[in-house]
Amino acid sequence: MAQVAVILFWFATVLYVAATVLYFYFFLSKRAAYSWYATFFTGAGFLCHTASVGLRSSAEGGTALNGPNTLILLAWALVFVYFVMEHLVKVKVYGAALVPVSVALMVVSQLLTVKVGAASPLVENWKIGIHVALIVFANAGFFVAGAGAFAYLVQEYQLKRHRTSVLFKRLPSLANIDLLTRRAVAFAFPAYSSGLLLGVFRAIETDPPGWFADPRVMLAGLVWGVFGTYIVLHYTQRASARATAWLALVGVLLVAVLAIVARTVPAGFHVFGL
Amino acid sequence: MHLILVGLSHKTAPIEIRERLTFPAHKQAEALALLTSGDVIAEAVIISTCNRTEIYAVASGADEGVDAVVDFMAEYHSLDRHELVRSLYFHHSEGVVRHLFRVVASLDSMVIGEAQILGQVKEAYDHALNNSATSKVFNKLFRQSFEVGKRVRTETEIGENAVSISYAAIELAKKVFDTLEGRTILVLGAGKMSELTAKHLVSQGVKSVLVANRTFERAKELAERFSGEAIRYDDLYERMHDADIVISSTAATHYVITKEHVAQSMRGRGGRPLFLIDIAVPRDIEPAVNDLSNVFLYDIDDLSTVVESNLEERMREARRAEVIIEDEFASFAKWRESLEVQPTVAAIRARADVIRLGELEKACKRLGNLSDKDLQTIDALTCAIVNKMLHGPTQRLKTAAEAKDGYEYIETARHLYGLDDSEGRGHGRLRDLLNRRTKDVVETAGNEMGDSLGC
Repeated sequence: MAQVAVILFWFATVLYVAATVLYFYFFLSKRAAYSWYATFFTGAGFLCHTASVGLRSSAEGGTALNGPNTLILLAWALVFVYFVMEHLVKVKVYGAALVPVSVALMVVSQLLTVKVGAASPLVENWKIGIHVALIVFANAGFFVAGAGAFAYLVQEYQLKRHRTSVLFKRLPSLANIDLLTRRAVAFAFPAYSSGLLLGVFRAIETDPPGWFADPRVMLAGLVWGVFGTYIVLHYTQRASARATAWLALVGVLLVAVLAIVARTVPAGFHVFGL
Repeated sequence: MHLILVGLSHKTAPIEIRERLTFPAHKQAEALALLTSGDVIAEAVIISTCNRTEIYAVASGADEGVDAVVDFMAEYHSLDRHELVRSLYFHHSEGVVRHLFRVVASLDSMVIGEAQILGQVKEAYDHALNNSATSKVFNKLFRQSFEVGKRVRTETEIGENAVSISYAAIELAKKVFDTLEGRTILVLGAGKMSELTAKHLVSQGVKSVLVANRTFERAKELAERFSGEAIRYDDLYERMHDADIVISSTAATHYVITKEHVAQSMRGRGGRPLFLIDIAVPRDIEPAVNDLSNVFLYDIDDLSTVVESNLEERMREARRAEVIIEDEFASFAKWRESLEVQPTVAAIRARADVIRLGELEKACKRLGNLSDKDLQTIDALTCAIVNKMLHGPTQRLKTAAEAKDGYEYIETARHLYGLDDSEGRGHGRLRDLLNRRTKDVVETAGNEMGDSLGC
């Protein structure tokens, strides 16, 4: 079963790569046929990916919460969130930005080494499983929002400078990009909040010393604060879409830093991802 | 059967001549009836738009057909034939097909990629069809041309990018707002250009139109045309707060809208962007307005740059459209070949030869050991019988094919000999043999279609 899971994993990666190439062609040529095939390959890859995760979990008696697995789950969640968002905003061009990220996550997951026996016994709890799942989904949503925020700033720059490049023609309208970003954050933020809450409950239960001073916990709090501010500013319309796009980019940058810190800073109690 | 085209367009004739040669919808029935009443023209379609008048015809002869159409045009519009001919262009057979395909693909239009021409050609074809002026050839040709038009529009981006100032403004506004439905526009100045741009914006679903002008009466007049609201010039800056798009085209010699005005109206807008189009010369809106957050300003030069860039894009797409045209042209040429007398005669002879050889083989088996001399005699005998049987019909077919509805004879002959059942369709050895044999006959006979089977 584990072997089948590995084969399916590589199948999924190859299909995502094919989808990336097709999305790229679609982005350049804007021919609907390419986007159809790209979506088809992404969907097929997603099915293989899902089956691979499921089979591996069955073979190993659960999904180990190590670095490679987290990245594989993040790639899976990213494709899932992309499909949900694409269904909502009906713009396929975002696939050109998000599917390659999934491919990169899949590849990087295979380059990371797993430290056997490093996991804390505190992990053996259902709350942590849900905590990780929620955070992974939220991070996927934040990545989608980050891609949207970046696209917004690029498109706004081109509109301001009166550019008529291919990029300008291919990217959706500012209103559409802003909508995607807002919805992605609106989807991710409650998941992130719930995930953090579960983590905090578990920390209080087990009460490891100075858990709140852990760099990863503090950074997670910062991410929560940034996206919380984004939501408040956006929905109260107290900031321009440009300002909130920058805020979303900062938030995604923090998510990336958080992922790196978790794997490079040995200090702190939060070592589940190692 | 000869395809001909006689026409004139914006490329060959000025408006003074074009306007004298139009065939409006209510006159098409009469014109088509006149055109096809003689012995020369079998089918006809008249395309008449503001930029072109073209008569497509299936004629019994190329030169007679052209003469008949030119005479008809001159007589119908009471024009001097020599003067008329100077503005006309002519196409024959393949040239007609290619030209029509280029026309429906809007490659021959004044604005490449414009969408109207396909509808206009469809309308012209409908007139001809309803007046029984078309038959097999034009039904096939025009339906295929619509396919070309459709393919070009769906497989290329030839009509995607705006190539007029007002449409470029709409395209840019859509890059900001996505859809213009429910938006509010403010028209400053009641000039022609701002009216045209406003008209296009309204057609995109804009909710309300505010019009401001120094002369309030003029503002009211324009506002009524769009079921909008005229506002006092003094209230302009206050009402700008409600607008999503501002179109400015006044005759003022100084900036009417400054950065300060816009900054003030942006307060309390809840993050709504403001898109300003300044089509006045000298400009009405201070360029520094573009520095404000969520404000996008385009003047006439910016819009012209967008139009130029889009035109270049359309030219690139036109090259892709040419490939589609060639593809469809090949398909039509293949079909048309089946209506030509030469390949038909060749196919009949090939079929007869296949039957003859089959029967000869069977007979030889039954007769047993025959000498080479006997075999040659029997072979020559069968050849002679087949040749004599086919000589009369093929000669008469060639003569009949030259007539006005000649292709009908060809079609009948193909049907009687079952050529279309075996040639190109179906499968099996007989079809392969026939196709090979037909090819051999055509290649050996060349243009001179002899009566012998080469035996």
